[in-house]
Amino acid sequence: MIFSQSSLFLAVSLAASTVVATKDGSSRPRGVAPEFAKFYKDPDIFACISHPALQVSSSAINDDYCDCPDGSDEPGTSACSHISHHSPLSVADRPGANDLDLTSALPGFYCKNKGHRPSYVPFQRVNDGICDYDFCCDGSDEWAHVGGTKCEDRCKELGKEWRKKEDKRQKSMTAALRKKKDLLVDAGRQEKEIEDDVQRLETEIEAHEIKVKNLETDLEEVQKQEQSKLVRGRKKGKVNVLAEVAKDRVEELRENLIEVRKERDETRLQVKELEAILSKFKEEYNPNSNDEGVKRAVSSWEEYAAKGHSDGNHARDRDLDEISKPDDEKSGVNWEHWENEEDSCEMDAVYHLAAYLPPSLVSFLEDQFIVFRGFLEKNGFLSKKSVESGSESQAVQDAREALKAEEKSLGETRKQLRNRREDLEINYGPASVFRALKGVCIVRDAGEYTYEQCFLDQTKQNSKKGGGSMRMGNFQRIGSTTIEEVNETGDIVTVERTTLEYVRGQTCWNGPARSTKVVLECGENNEILKVSEDERCVYSMIVTTPAVCAGGEEEDAAPRVKDEL
Amino acid sequence: MARSWPVSVRWTLLLLVVILGWLVIPGVAVKRESFKYCSQSGFCKRNRAYADEVSAKGSSWSSPYELEPSTIQFKDSQLHGIIVKTTSENEKVRLPLTVSFLESGAARVVIDEEKRLKGEIDIRHNSQIRKERYNEAEKWAVVGGLDLSKSATLNANTEEGLTKVLYGPGSSFQAIIRHAPFDVEFQRDGETHVQFNKQGYLNMEHWRPKLEPEEDSPEDQSTWWEETFDGNTDSKPRGPESLGLDISFPGYSHVFGIPEHADSLSLRETRGGSGNHEDPYRLYNSDIFEYELNSPMTLYGAIPLMQAHRKDSTVGVFWLNAAETWIDIVKSSSSANPLSLGVGSKTTTHSHWISEAGQLDVFVFLGPSPRDISKIYGELTGYTQLPQQFAIAYHQCRWNYVTDEDVKEVDAQFDKYQIPYDVIWLDVDYTDDRKYFTWDPMTFPNPISMEEQLDDSERKLVVLIDPHIKNEDGYFVSEKMKKQGFAVKNKDGNIYDGHCWPGASNWIDCFNPEAAKWWSTLYRYDKFKGSSPNVFIWNDMNEPSVFDGPEVTMPKDNIHWGNWEHRDIHNVNGVTLLNSTFKALTSRKKGENRRPFILTRSYYAGAQRVAAMWTGDNQATWDHLAITLPMVLNNGISGFPFAGADVGGFFHNPGPELLTRWYQTGIWYPFFRAHAHIETRRREPYLISRPHRDYISQALRLRYQLLPAWYTAFHEASVNGTPIVRPQFYVHPTDEQGFALDDQLYFGSTGLLTKPVVSEGANSADIYISDDEKYYDYFDYTVYQGAKKRHIIPAPIEKVPLLMQGGHVLPRKDRPRRSSGLMKWDPYTLVITLDKNGEADGTLYVDDGESYEYQRGAYIHRSFHFQDSVLSSHDIGTKGSKTAEYLKTMSHVKVEKVIVVDPPKEWQDKVSVTIIEDGVTTGTTASMQYVSQPAGKASYAVVKKPDVAIGKTWRIEF
Repeated sequence: MIFSQSSLFLAVSLAASTVVATKDGSSRPRGVAPEFAKFYKDPDIFACISHPALQVSSSAINDDYCDCPDGSDEPGTSACSHISHHSPLSVADRPGANDLDLTSALPGFYCKNKGHRPSYVPFQRVNDGICDYDFCCDGSDEWAHVGGTKCEDRCKELGKEWRKKEDKRQKSMTAALRKKKDLLVDAGRQEKEIEDDVQRLETEIEAHEIKVKNLETDLEEVQKQEQSKLVRGRKKGKVNVLAEVAKDRVEELRENLIEVRKERDETRLQVKELEAILSKFKEEYNPNSNDEGVKRAVSSWEEYAAKGHSDGNHARDRDLDEISKPDDEKSGVNWEHWENEEDSCEMDAVYHLAAYLPPSLVSFLEDQFIVFRGFLEKNGFLSKKSVESGSESQAVQDAREALKAEEKSLGETRKQLRNRREDLEINYGPASVFRALKGVCIVRDAGEYTYEQCFLDQTKQNSKKGGGSMRMGNFQRIGSTTIEEVNETGDIVTVERTTLEYVRGQTCWNGPARSTKVVLECGENNEILKVSEDERCVYSMIVTTPAVCAGGEEEDAAPRVKDEL
Repeated sequence: MARSWPVSVRWTLLLLVVILGWLVIPGVAVKRESFKYCSQSGFCKRNRAYADEVSAKGSSWSSPYELEPSTIQFKDSQLHGIIVKTTSENEKVRLPLTVSFLESGAARVVIDEEKRLKGEIDIRHNSQIRKERYNEAEKWAVVGGLDLSKSATLNANTEEGLTKVLYGPGSSFQAIIRHAPFDVEFQRDGETHVQFNKQGYLNMEHWRPKLEPEEDSPEDQSTWWEETFDGNTDSKPRGPESLGLDISFPGYSHVFGIPEHADSLSLRETRGGSGNHEDPYRLYNSDIFEYELNSPMTLYGAIPLMQAHRKDSTVGVFWLNAAETWIDIVKSSSSANPLSLGVGSKTTTHSHWISEAGQLDVFVFLGPSPRDISKIYGELTGYTQLPQQFAIAYHQCRWNYVTDEDVKEVDAQFDKYQIPYDVIWLDVDYTDDRKYFTWDPMTFPNPISMEEQLDDSERKLVVLIDPHIKNEDGYFVSEKMKKQGFAVKNKDGNIYDGHCWPGASNWIDCFNPEAAKWWSTLYRYDKFKGSSPNVFIWNDMNEPSVFDGPEVTMPKDNIHWGNWEHRDIHNVNGVTLLNSTFKALTSRKKGENRRPFILTRSYYAGAQRVAAMWTGDNQATWDHLAITLPMVLNNGISGFPFAGADVGGFFHNPGPELLTRWYQTGIWYPFFRAHAHIETRRREPYLISRPHRDYISQALRLRYQLLPAWYTAFHEASVNGTPIVRPQFYVHPTDEQGFALDDQLYFGSTGLLTKPVVSEGANSADIYISDDEKYYDYFDYTVYQGAKKRHIIPAPIEKVPLLMQGGHVLPRKDRPRRSSGLMKWDPYTLVITLDKNGEADGTLYVDDGESYEYQRGAYIHRSFHFQDSVLSSHDIGTKGSKTAEYLKTMSHVKVEKVIVVDPPKEWQDKVSVTIIEDGVTTGTTASMQYVSQPAGKASYAVVKKPDVAIGKTWRIEF
C-alpha cells in the first residue's frame, strides 16, 4: 500500500501485514546489496527509493506484495518483477501514482554467493522454481522453495571453477595484449617499410627524371646529326613502309585474336558450367515449389535448351588456329619479302596485298578488322596509333629506344610510389593495427559449411557437402556498430564494436550480393566465434582478435600514428 | 594484350544479365490458374447448371425425387424409406433414405444409392475401387452424440403426402417430410427454420454405364467420364456420382462458418452482384501459395458446418462429406414467399451444397442459441482437447533456426531481454536431407543438449513431421513403408510417386489401421532418436500437398486403403494423419501421461480433438493482418477454436509498426505463434529496436498475465465447445447491428472486449458496444457506456484497445516469468468490474497444465461471485481420486491482490476488508485502499494480500 506522507499513514500500521521482512542473519533485508543497505535502516518506515515521498511501514519490506512504484520495497521477492518498460501496467499497479515513470530502483535480487562473487539475479527469476546457478550459486533466489524446489549452495564448486576460468581469462587477456603489441609493432614496421619505400621511390623518380631529360637531349642530338646525313640516305619505298605498317597491324590483330579466342573459350566454359547448373537445377527443383521465379526460370531454361546450342564451328577454329601462327616463309605473310620489295608499283601492290595473304586471314581481316579496331579504340584499349615511323638510322632508333625504356621505368616507379602512398592513406584502424593482419585467414566449422574470414580481404563459405566455395564479400571498410549487452546489474546496455565490412560477394539466387559484417571482440586469438545469416545473404560473424583489445598503443605505439585516424 | 581483360568482364556481365533476365520474379500472388473455378470442376458446373435450369423453369418444374409412401417406416426414432428418382429416360433410381432423430436434438438425413450399396454396378478401367458411395467420413469426424432420441414420435396430426415427426426437447422440434416432390422442413416451436430441397436442387447423380452419347442427347456429358485440368487427367472410373442439395434458412440474413476461407465472418452471396462472389465457397483442402483475401477460394482446411443466425435464433447444418464440396449462397427477399416470413425478418438465405462423391449425409441443429450449436456439434465431432499450458503461451517459429546452437542462442536472447516465450520451433530443414525422424548431422549434431537447455526453463521444442516420405533406398521409414504396403497407391494400384520437399516422395496412408499403428511407433523416443519429452509435433503439408499433383494435391483417382478413391476421402485425409500422430504422442514411452500437442495445417471436422491449426502461409501486409480476425473467429464458432495465424506474416518483412500491431493482435489468437519465411529478415522480438520492442514485450506479457483466463477459456471449450475468442453475434445474439462484425472480439467468458488495430498509422479504435453495461479501459479504467454504438478508444502504437465489460471477475497472474511453466506457483490477482446491479461473476480452471491427472480430479475449478459487497469463491469442480492431493500441492498458491473497478462510493473511507475462509469462524483482515480518479475514469479499490488460497472456499467482505 502506498500513501503519500501527508495522507493516511496511520492506516498502514493498522493494516500492517502479518508478513515480516526476512532477515538472514545480517542487518540487510533479503536480496539487498550492500550499496542499497542504507535505504533499509529505519526500523519503522521505508521510503521508496526513487520516490521517497512515498512511504510504507517497514513490515511491508519483502512481504511479497509490491507497494512502491519503483519496486524497492521488494528487494527479496518477485512481487515487483513487473515494474518494467516491458510490462503492461494498469493504474492499479501504482495506486495513486499514475504519473510516475515506472522503473525499478534495484538492479535485481542480490545473491551474496559466499565463496564466489556476489551477483544480481533478475527479479523475474526469484522463486520461480529454477535454481539459477549462473547468477545465484548459493541458491538463495529460491528461498521460498516453491513446488518443493531446493537449491543447494554450490558456490564453493562454482566459485572455484569461475576463479580458474577467470584466471585463465586474465592470462588470456594479458596474452592478448601482448599479441596486440606485437601486431602494433608489426604494423608499425610494415608502415615504416612503406614510408621508407616512398622515400626511396621519390629519390629514384628524381634520378629517372634526370635520365629521361638527358636521353631526350641525346635523342635530339642524334636526330640533328642524322638529318644532315639523310639527304643521301636511301628512302624506303611506300610498299616497304606499308608492309611495316601491315606487319605491325597484323601482329596486333593476331594477338587480339588469340586473346579474344581465349576469352571466348573461357566464356564457353562458363556457359557450360551455367548450363550444367541449370540443368541440375531443372532436375532437382520442386516442380511445385510455388515460386513463380523458379518456375519461370525453369521454363526459360527449357526453351533455351530446346534451341540446341552448338559448341562452335570446328572448321572455323582450324582457320583461326592457322591465323594465329606467327608469320614466316611457310605460313601467313612473308614479311621479309615485302620489306625488301623494290618500290616499283606501289599502288598496285596495295591493291594486290590480299593476294599475298592466306585466304582465311583475308576474310577474317575483311570481316573483323574495322569493327574490331573501332571497338578497341572506342573503348580505349587501343590508342590511335599514328603511322609516322619513317626510316630512321640505327643511332636514332637506339636513342629513341633508350628514352622509351627510361620513360617506362620512370612510369613504373611513379606507379609504385602512387601505390605506396595510397596504401598509407588507407584506414587500417587505430595505430594501423590491422595492417599486420591483412590477408590473415581464419576458419570455422558451422553446420554444413566452413566459414573463412581473411582480414581486410574477403569472407568465404565453403560447403562440406561438396557444393564448392562461395564468396561472402570483399573487404570494403573498417566500421563500427553498436551491440546490446547485459551489464552486471542485468540492464541492457549498448556497446560500440569495431567491424570489418565485406560487400559485393557472390550474388544469391534470386537475391542480393552476399555481404558480411564481421564484429570484432577482444580475444587472445584470431578466431571466428559465430556465423549467422541475419537475413537472406546478409551474414554476420563474431570474431575475436587481439587487435581490438584495449590499450597497447601508448607504450609500444607504432612509430607513427596517422593523424587522421 | 593485357588490356583486353575488361572485355571478358563485360561479356560475362552480359551473359549474367541474360540469365538473370529469366529469373525476374513477377509480383507475388496466388497462382490462380492452378486452382479450379466451379466452371472447371465438372460436377460443380453440372449442379450449378441444374440449379439454373430449375430456377428458370420456375413453378412449371417439379423435382423428380419422390419418397415412395409405401416404403416409409418409422421405428426407434428413425424414419426409413426409398426415394425414387425418375430420370429423363424414365428410369427409376432407388435412393434409400434414413432420417434419424437424435437424443441431442439433432436430426440426421442420409440418402444413399441402392444399386451402389448392393454392388450392382460396374467400374471402368478394371479399377479395384469400392462400389459403394463413401460412407466412412463419420468414422473420422464423429465421436458421439449419435444416440437416438427416446421420444421422437410421428405426429398423428398430419396431412396426405406428408410425414411429420416430433422430436427434440419437449418435442418442440418437428420435421415435416413431403413425399412428392421430396422435401423436408425443420421447425422449432412451430416455425420453419431449415428447409431441404425447397428450391428443388436435390440431385443425386446415379451410377450409369458409359454409353456412346446419342447425337441429340440433351445432357452435356463432357465431364462425366474423364476430366483434365492443368495437364492432369482424372480417369473417373465410376463416372458421374455427385450430389447436390439446397438448404434454405427462411428469415435468416446471416450465415457463418464453412471454414477455411480468407473472407469475412458473415458469408457473402456467391452468384455475383456488387460485393458478392462469382464462385461458390469451395472446400477442397489445398496448399495455396500466397492466397487471395476476401475470396471463396478453398484453403488448407474444411469444416462443412454452416450456421444461420438471426435475432434470437441460431440454427445449423453439418454436411458430413469428405469429397470436394462447393457451397453457393444466395439471399432473397422473403416477401416473395410470405409463408416463411420470420418475425421482423425480411431475408431468406439459400445455400446450395454440391459434393463430388459419397452419400448425402446432413445433420440439422435447431439451436436456438449459438452456444447450443457449439455444444451439439461438439458432442458429435468432439471438443477441443484441453491443451498443455505451454501450448497456449507464445510460440517462436522460423523457417529455419539453422543449427542447434542457433536455437540455444535464440533461447538465451529471450532471457537476456526478459521476454517470455514457451516454445521454439524447427521447420523442415532440421532434418537430414528432409527425411523425417532424422536430424541433419551437421547442423543438429546434438539435439538432446538443445532440448535440455530449453527444458531448464520449462520450454518446449516443436519439430515438423510431414506425411510425404522421401523415396530413397536405405531410409528406414521409406523402406518399411513401401515394403509393408503402407503408402498411398495410384489408380493402377502401384505406390504413388509425387514430389514434395524431399523431392521424389511417397505418402503414408493412415487410412490403413496397420499403417497408422506403425506410424505411431516412429515417434517413440527410442525410434526418433534425438527427441525427448519436451518435443512436440507439427504436421504440415497434410492436405496432402503434392508439388506436381493436380491442384497441388493428389490425383483424385489415387487409391487409399479400403479401396476408397482419393476423391472420396480427400478432405479427411489430413485428420487420419493427426489421429495417428496423436496416438503416437501418447505412447512415446510407457507410463508417460502427458497431453500431446500437434499443429496441423489441413483439417476437417473432428481435427479439433487432436490438434491446433493455423491459417497457413500468409503475408506481412496490413490486409493479411486484418483477415486473421474473421478467420480465427470463424474457426472458433465452427468447433475448432484452437486457431491462429502466423504473427508477423509468413512471407515478406513487416515494418516495426506492422509487427507491433500484429503482436498486439496475435495475443488474442488462441494459438499464438510467430513464424517467418526463410528469405525474410530475422524478427524475433528482441531484435526489434526500441520503442517497438517494448510494445511487443508488453503485448507478450499481457498474454502471459491473462494465461489463467486463457486456460479457463480452453477448459470451457473442452467441455462445451464454446469458442475461445468470440464474435459479437455470439455474445450478443439479439443485437442485429453486431451480427456482421468480425474485427473485434470477446475473450472467453471474461467480458474482455478488444478491437486490435489492423491499419497503418491508426491512433484510435472504434469499438462497437452492444449492451448498456459499463465498459472500462483495461489499463486506465476510462468508462465507456452506450449500447448499440461505436466508442472511440485511444490506441497509439503502444496501446492495445481493450475494454472490460462490467460484471466480471478476471483472474490474472501479474508476475512476468521466462515461460508459463515457471508461473505455476505464482499468486493470482483478481480484477472485478461490477455490473449495473453491482454484481460480478467469473470462473477459474487450474490443473497441472500437462498431464491427464485432471481426469482423476486433480484440478481446481472455482466460481467467483460478487454481490452485496462480498466476493466469494465456490467450488464448481467434481471431486476425484486425485483432488485432495492436488489441492495440497496448490495450497500455497494464493490471491495476492483484488482490484475492484468502480466500487461503490461508500467504500471511500474503507481501509480494510474482512476475510472468512471456509470452516473458520473468525475472520482476518486485509488492508484496502480506495483510489479516486479524475472524471471519466472509474475509481478503484485495491485489497492487499487477502492471502486466500486459490483452491479454497472463502469470502471477502468489503
